[in-house]
Amino acid sequence: MPGQETSEGAGAVSVRFRDVTKRYPGAETNAVESLTLDVEAGEICVLVGPSGCGKTTAMRMVNRTVEITSGDILIGDTSVRDRSPAQLRREIGYVIQQIGLFPHRTIAQNIGTVPGLLDWDRSRIDARVKELLELISLPADVADRYPSQLSGGQQQRVGVARALAADPAVMLMDEPFGAIDPINRERLQNEFLRLQAEIRKTILFVTHDIDEAIKMGDRIAILREGGHLAQYATPSELLMAPADDFVEDFVGADRALKRLSLMRVADIDLWEAPLAYVGQATGEVRAKLAGAEVPHALLVDSERRPLGWLSESDLRQETVPQRPDSSPDPILDLDDVMRDALSDVLQAESRYAPVVDREGRIAGVLSVEIVHEFLSSDEAKVEEHPAAERPLA
Amino acid sequence: MLADLAPILAQVDVREAGQGATTCVGKNEGFCLDYVVDNLSDYVDPTLEHAFMVIVSVLAGLALAILLAIVSHRRNWLVPVFIGGTGVLYTIPSIALFLLLLPITGRGTLTAVIGLTLYNLQIIYRNAVVGLGNVPGSSREAGRGMGMTGRQLLWGVEMPLAVPEIIAGVRIATVSTVAIATLAIFAGAGGLGEVIYNQGVQNGLFKTNILFASLLVVLMAIAFDAVLIVAQRVLSPWRKVRTI
Repeated sequence: MPGQETSEGAGAVSVRFRDVTKRYPGAETNAVESLTLDVEAGEICVLVGPSGCGKTTAMRMVNRTVEITSGDILIGDTSVRDRSPAQLRREIGYVIQQIGLFPHRTIAQNIGTVPGLLDWDRSRIDARVKELLELISLPADVADRYPSQLSGGQQQRVGVARALAADPAVMLMDEPFGAIDPINRERLQNEFLRLQAEIRKTILFVTHDIDEAIKMGDRIAILREGGHLAQYATPSELLMAPADDFVEDFVGADRALKRLSLMRVADIDLWEAPLAYVGQATGEVRAKLAGAEVPHALLVDSERRPLGWLSESDLRQETVPQRPDSSPDPILDLDDVMRDALSDVLQAESRYAPVVDREGRIAGVLSVEIVHEFLSSDEAKVEEHPAAERPLA
Repeated sequence: MLADLAPILAQVDVREAGQGATTCVGKNEGFCLDYVVDNLSDYVDPTLEHAFMVIVSVLAGLALAILLAIVSHRRNWLVPVFIGGTGVLYTIPSIALFLLLLPITGRGTLTAVIGLTLYNLQIIYRNAVVGLGNVPGSSREAGRGMGMTGRQLLWGVEMPLAVPEIIAGVRIATVSTVAIATLAIFAGAGGLGEVIYNQGVQNGLFKTNILFASLLVVLMAIAFDAVLIVAQRVLSPWRKVRTI
């Protein structure tokens, strides 16, 4: 179809806040205080903070649903002040907590709102609606239904699809999952992250929930009352080195555990266990045990898949026996979220857990000590994953 | 042939009302079906006139009410002003209103329609304001945030969402207008009021005409309401129609 854009059509652009201040008429103090902040193209920037911290105000100045008092916001190289509000808003996706679908318009009409405002022709809008319904995994036959006929989660998906309709480079999301029950919220968050891995929009995301911020953000801007930026950092920087007491308080006492939920097992240097094969002379195994990181031998099959740990009595025999006394459980995956992996290890009351790759072959051993060491070392800076590629807990 | 003779027969019947004490009409003892059947065509014009006055005044009232609603939309301080103003009009007794209008607009249908329109105004305006007020704030915010202009928001989102309430107002206004229009006779207009007063009350309190014209008024109100219920359903397919 001529002129049709795919979801990856428009390249993402950066959003730059330059000394942006907002004071509402009649207010004694500023709602946002000289905020300077760069959101890189294709990144999710989460604005988070307690109520009254100005996060929503800051976000809404981007599409001028709130006017800037002083300072400037640049989208790409263009100041939002140089655009007419209506034109500007048609190029910025907008998702709000209450979803705000039009009750009197069908799902297809709702999704086609902005393309309609942009005067796309009928066939192009229809094609785009079809494409978006697929993208958000809704059956094509919801197109002719009304919003009230959809579940809350489905409505929220439609809200996202509607914001994406004209393929905006920038999206604003104001507590988009705030009104959804916890189970569906997690599903929608994961879905959205998978979507973002595909579409790579520049996203400003407002929430008051630090866990959501850590999960969804490539970078997190923590704002405190009065619209002051307390810290702007990646989730693990934030968790590792809170700028001040306010941030430390806000991210919570369990920030060590939160850091673990940002990592996969593969992100940490694993230990090596001496491997043993059935029928191998125990002498060889005992030789390997001396000076090994893990003081137990792991029995593996010919494909190096873990079978179990060998006990002292196993090793007193001539050759490595067929059946070990202990099972290798828990077996962890390189892709497992570190927090869950640690929990498995602790729950199994074992100190070591074999980690396997996708083929089930041994890749290393995780121990409680490794995690402990990792958390206590200052420079233990993990490689940061973009939010869209992070483990989906 | 009978139809052609009917008006003449009717006059004969009426004139004889006092003498022929044996007929239903002569005794004026209630509803005389034979008389109605014989003179059915006499009721056609008054009924059409009546319906015409109702339709024109309801449409005019609707147009004016929506105009007022648009003017007071996003100017909330105007709402009580308009409700007060239209409310004052609504409280003027209808006969008095028609008589007050006579020196300005003269006798006739125009005067009747003006009076009836003023009565509709309050009811429909009130409902339009309620309807616009009930538009979910989130729809408004989403529309604005997606780059709709004020006009696009009004006609694309707010008005369509207010339609059920507006039609509910039109239904109430229509039913009451069908009834009040019987007083249009005092403005010098026709309609079923003419049958009730000139050919009923003034005609020796001829009960058949009074009763049958009243029946037509009721049937007309029911018919209009039925049409409006259908309109409500057709114009707001997104919701189950609330029947009040």
